[in-house]
Order: sequence, then C-alpha cells, then structure tokens
Amino acid sequence: MATRRHFLKTAALAAAAMSVPPSPSASASQAAQARRQITIGGRRVRVIDVHNHWDMPLPAEIVKGTPYEERMKGPGLDDRVAILDKQGIDIAAVSVNDFWWWEVKDRGLARAICNYHNETLAAWNKKHPDRLVGMASIPLQFPDLAADMLQDAVTRLGARAVTVGGHVNNESLSLPKFDPFWAKAAEMGQLVFMHPNGSANLLREGALAGNGGLGNIVGNPLETTVFLSRLIFDGTFDRFPTLKVCGAHGGGFLPSYLGRTEVACIRPGQKCIIKRKPSEYMRQNILADTMVFTEDGLRHLVAEMGVSQVVYGTDIPFNWPAPVDYVLDAKSLSNADKEQILGGNLMTLLRITS
Amino acid sequence: MKKIIASLAALLLLTVLTSAQAPSPAASAAQGRRQVSINGQRVRVIDIHAHATVAEVAPVVKGTPYERQAGGRPLGPDRVALIDKQGIDVQVLSINGFWWWEVKDRDLADRIVRAQNQGLANFVTQFPDRFMAMASVSLQFPDLAARQLEDAVAQYGFRATTVGGHVNGEDMSLAKFDPFWAKAAELGVLVFMHPGGAENIIRDNALDGRGDLGNIIGNPLETTYFQSRLIFDGTLDKFPNLRVASAHGAGYLPSYLQRTEVACVVRNNANCLNKKKPSEYLKTQLLADTMVFSDEGLRHLVAEMGVGQVVYGTDNPLNWPVTVDLVLNAKWLSDADKAAILGGNLARLLRITS
Repeated sequence: MATRRHFLKTAALAAAAMSVPPSPSASASQAAQARRQITIGGRRVRVIDVHNHWDMPLPAEIVKGTPYEERMKGPGLDDRVAILDKQGIDIAAVSVNDFWWWEVKDRGLARAICNYHNETLAAWNKKHPDRLVGMASIPLQFPDLAADMLQDAVTRLGARAVTVGGHVNNESLSLPKFDPFWAKAAEMGQLVFMHPNGSANLLREGALAGNGGLGNIVGNPLETTVFLSRLIFDGTFDRFPTLKVCGAHGGGFLPSYLGRTEVACIRPGQKCIIKRKPSEYMRQNILADTMVFTEDGLRHLVAEMGVSQVVYGTDIPFNWPAPVDYVLDAKSLSNADKEQILGGNLMTLLRITS
Repeated sequence: MKKIIASLAALLLLTVLTSAQAPSPAASAAQGRRQVSINGQRVRVIDIHAHATVAEVAPVVKGTPYERQAGGRPLGPDRVALIDKQGIDVQVLSINGFWWWEVKDRDLADRIVRAQNQGLANFVTQFPDRFMAMASVSLQFPDLAARQLEDAVAQYGFRATTVGGHVNGEDMSLAKFDPFWAKAAELGVLVFMHPGGAENIIRDNALDGRGDLGNIIGNPLETTYFQSRLIFDGTLDKFPNLRVASAHGAGYLPSYLQRTEVACVVRNNANCLNKKKPSEYLKTQLLADTMVFSDEGLRHLVAEMGVGQVVYGTDNPLNWPVTVDLVLNAKWLSDADKAAILGGNLARLLRITS
C-alpha cells in the first residue's frame, strides 16, 4: 500500500510538473495541440485503455468514524484527459482496484462505498462522455449484493464493465458462493477486469521482499495466474461459458507460459473437472492486456490467445512503458490486428458505438 | 518439500509398474533404440533434466530421521531402455529432492552426499557413453559444499552440479553461499537448478486444489524467484563465469521476461544491484531446458534467450510430454540450431568430445 501511494504521489508530481502553463489560454491551446491522434495506414483508429486506475478518495460522510478514514485522501481525476491526449488514448475505462473495501464487514458501509465509486465514475463519464467510461465497483464479500450492485451500476449509472481482485479475503473467486456474481456478469454480458495486488493471499510474510521489487514484478502476475487457473480448473468458465475475464499485465504468467498448464490434466493422478483444454478458455473466456512491453512478448501473447483476446492497457497513472507505439510498431501484427488490439475488441466488449 | 518427495517417489513407482508391462528390457533395448538424425545427419541428443535415486544412500541414513526420504527406486537397466526409446544418447543424471539440505549434522550431511555421488558414479561407470552425473552437495554448509564439489569433479569427473531454489528457506544469493558459487565458477561446472514447489514462498496449502497448481505453478514460481535473486542481488555479476541451467524452461522468467526487464527502471524501490539488464544474463549466464511443451512456447523461449541458452530436458522418469519432436519439427529453427538445442550446447558446456 505504501508503495502504491508513493507511486501515485510520484505520478501526481510528474503530472503537475508537466502542466505548469504560462497562462490558462496558452494551456488550452497547448492541450488542443497535444492530443495525439492515432492512425494506421492513414486511417484514424480508436484507442481504448482497459487498465486505467483511479485510487478514488471517499467523502467524510461515508468513511468518517470508520477504520477507513484514511481513504478520504487520494488523487483527483482532473488531469486524466490531458494524459490520455498526450498518449494518444481516446477512451479510458477507469476502475478503482485496491479492493480494500472487500474487508468491510458492515454491509451498509460496503454498499455506500461502492455506490459512491459508481456514481462518481458515472459523473466523470457524463463530463467526458467520449473519453472516460467507468467500471463498476462491487462488494464481493457479499456476493448477492455484489450481483445487485453490478446490475444497478450498469442499468442506472452506465458502467461498461466490472473490476475484481484475485481473491476475496484470501478466498478463491471460483468458490460456488461467488457464483451469483459470475452469473450476473455473464447474464449481463459484462467484461470483468481483474487486477492483482501482490499475491497477499498466497505468499509467506515478506517472501518477495528484497532487491528487484519482486512483490510487484513477480507477485502481481502470480496472483493473476492463480486466479485465472482456479477459474479454469474449478469449472467456473464451464458453469458460465459466456463469461469474459480480462487479466491485467498480459494475464500474468498464464498465457506466456501456457504449456505446463495445458498438460496438467493429462498427467497421471489428476482429478480435473474441466470440459475443455486450458488453451480453449484462453481463446474464449480469458483476455489479457498488452502490458508485456516487448515485441516478442506481444507476438507470443497474441499467438497463444488470438487477436480477439488481447486489449490495450497502460496502467495509467503509473509509469510503465506501455505506449501505443509498441502495438503500432509490432511487425508480427497486420493493420487489422493492430486496430483490434488498440480498440476494436474493447469497442465491442464495452459497447462503445460512436 | 516432503510432499513433493513423496509424490516424486509415487511417480517413480508408477513408471516402474508401467514399464514392467513391457517385454524384457534387453529385448526392447536391442530393438528400440531411437537414433535421432536431422536431414540424414545423426545428431547427439543430451538430456539435462533426469531424476535419479541411488541405492548407496540407504545404509548411510538407516536409523536416522531421513531413512524414508532417501527412498524411491534406484537407477537400473530400465533407465537405459527408457533413454533408448526416447532417442536420448547421453543423459545427465541428478538427485534433486534436496531433503539432505535439512540435515543439521555436518558429518551425516557429508556422508549422504558422498554416498550419492559414489552411487551416481557407480551407475555411470556401467554405461560410460550413455550417462553422466551431477554432483550433489551439502549446501547448508557452504564451505563443505565447495569441497564436495571439488572432490566430485576430481574423483569422478563430474562436470555439473545440482541445486534447489533455496536452502531451508534461505536465498542462494546470500553472501554465505558465495564459496559454493565461486567454486562452481572456478571449476567451470554447470549448475542445474530444480525447484520443489515454492515452499519457501507460498504459504502452506495455498496452491492446493484442482489442477495440481503446487507443481504447475509452484515449480516455475520457485525457479523464477531463484533466478531473479541471482540477477538482482548481483550474484551473477560476482561470478561472471557461472552458468546456471534451470528446469522447466527456466520457469516464468524467460517466457514473461519483460516485467523483470523493466523492474529496475519502473520501480523506484527496486534497489537493483545488477550491472546489466536482466535480458543480458538470460543470453549469457542463464540457460533453460526445453520443457515448455508447445512449438510457440519454444519459439518464444529461443527468441528471448538465444539458441545457445536452450538445452534439451525430459524430466525422466516422470511422466511429462517428451519434447524431442518439438525441436525436430520446429520450422523456425535451422538444422544447426536444432542440433545445438538437442545436444550441441550441452556437449560444449559439459566438455563432451567424442
């Protein structure tokens, strides 16, 4: 947590430094000039970002007097459109991803927090209807309420997807108790965007401390890999075959190191209940963002999953090197592939028509 | 680790039962030796990843708490039949349970290791053109390990040694283990790393359940962590002559390299000690076996590491898909590349001349 806050602060400082304008009018014209417009083969294409964080602060009337008062602090979203302009992103699907509110035991408080997230994201969508869309926050520790709130966020507030973490207070999301949520997401055709938080559900205390930032570098893809593996091996995708789940950071290790998972059930002594091969879920139910950072990493991801399963993601406001250019410059992709990955797939999944 | 040993032993037994149904080993050996050639040219296939147990250890641990861990079925003529059938010309045997690293009595630890090395040497002597062996060492006593390695090289002509991913939970990048690394580098001995389910990282039972995740995820995770420590803690810089080959395609590290590659740049708490980019170690000091089980997985592994860093491995006698045809059928590899991966790289590293 300290690390993430530190990063948010760094990102905010960087953003502030970038936007010191001589005068408001000059700033406006600078913004107008600075919007990068992406074209492929001379044709304007739409760029949509599935992985766009907002550590949204909460108002006093919701968290004052609760153990979550420190959540009143957090960055605003005022500079977000300028960041999108600069990076050539047309639409960001913004989500709140720390999932600290899944620890809240009071049902009313959990509802109020998620409702505030969803209404605030709806307000930003209203302010920038062609630039920002929101993903629903849900209280997954109360699966029935989570299902209701997903419905509400979509029908009343215009949410285009929903976001989850890799575990609910250490419980696997493949447990039957969470089926009401998966059933609702499948029924409503809502994309589920999964974002990890360092494998706190899996690791021994301090196990990934030390040099190299492995708590993030290894811990995040590990949590995503276990989360997706459980949805596969515990039969969640078989129960809800229309479900679409996008794993952050290229879907963790799973698609890039698919071979071992693929042969797991053909080894002796296994009690697999899955109806299809793991690779088939990769090509139908599972999606990954593009955050693998190199040309051969992206080529490999697309080869294992198919073009339809890979979507553009940046991790904004964090400073990972995930520019549009690395998709645009990929020699392994056709122009049509690039267009799909940068925006076409998400236009369908997020129901973006214009 | 005990659990892994038990399942390893069970699988060894299963393999024995299965192969017992075959005709006599002699008959199948005579008829069944596969000779691998590429475009009419016979090439030598050398296997880096082959588990072994030797009978010589049992008397040493009799009456100690380790009596049962030394179990498993010792090497015998059935192994010759197996490598004949699979087209392996030279198999480099190693004992990989590392249960003897828990032994606190220095004298007992030494006697176990010397019995293992003697047992391996006894088997190799029977089939000198078909088998080589890797030295076991008592890494819980780093100075002793260095001496054991030196002795095994001098006495038996071993050219490799094998390690796990941690020593009783301790990282092998700790300075206390430098005497071992220094000796391996000095002697030009290849180090083969094999994981044991990431028990140093993963909380008890956190990977239980369907899909065999303790193996399918735990093993590549431990391997990834082990290599990350050697990189980020500067071990590979301290010993630039060191060559470390890791099991199962070296875990996630090469297949999902990019997050590691950007760690020191993006994470301002990463504290990196490495002098070069992670990818540079992957192209020089680190090697991977071919156990990634798909054409695309192997293509990506070779793309990230280079042909010179990928070596053939089977996991004999355990029941994993054999990957020799994966290499032979790879359309994207030249004949010379195929010969290098199947045996040429290891012939050079292990100084096999004939």
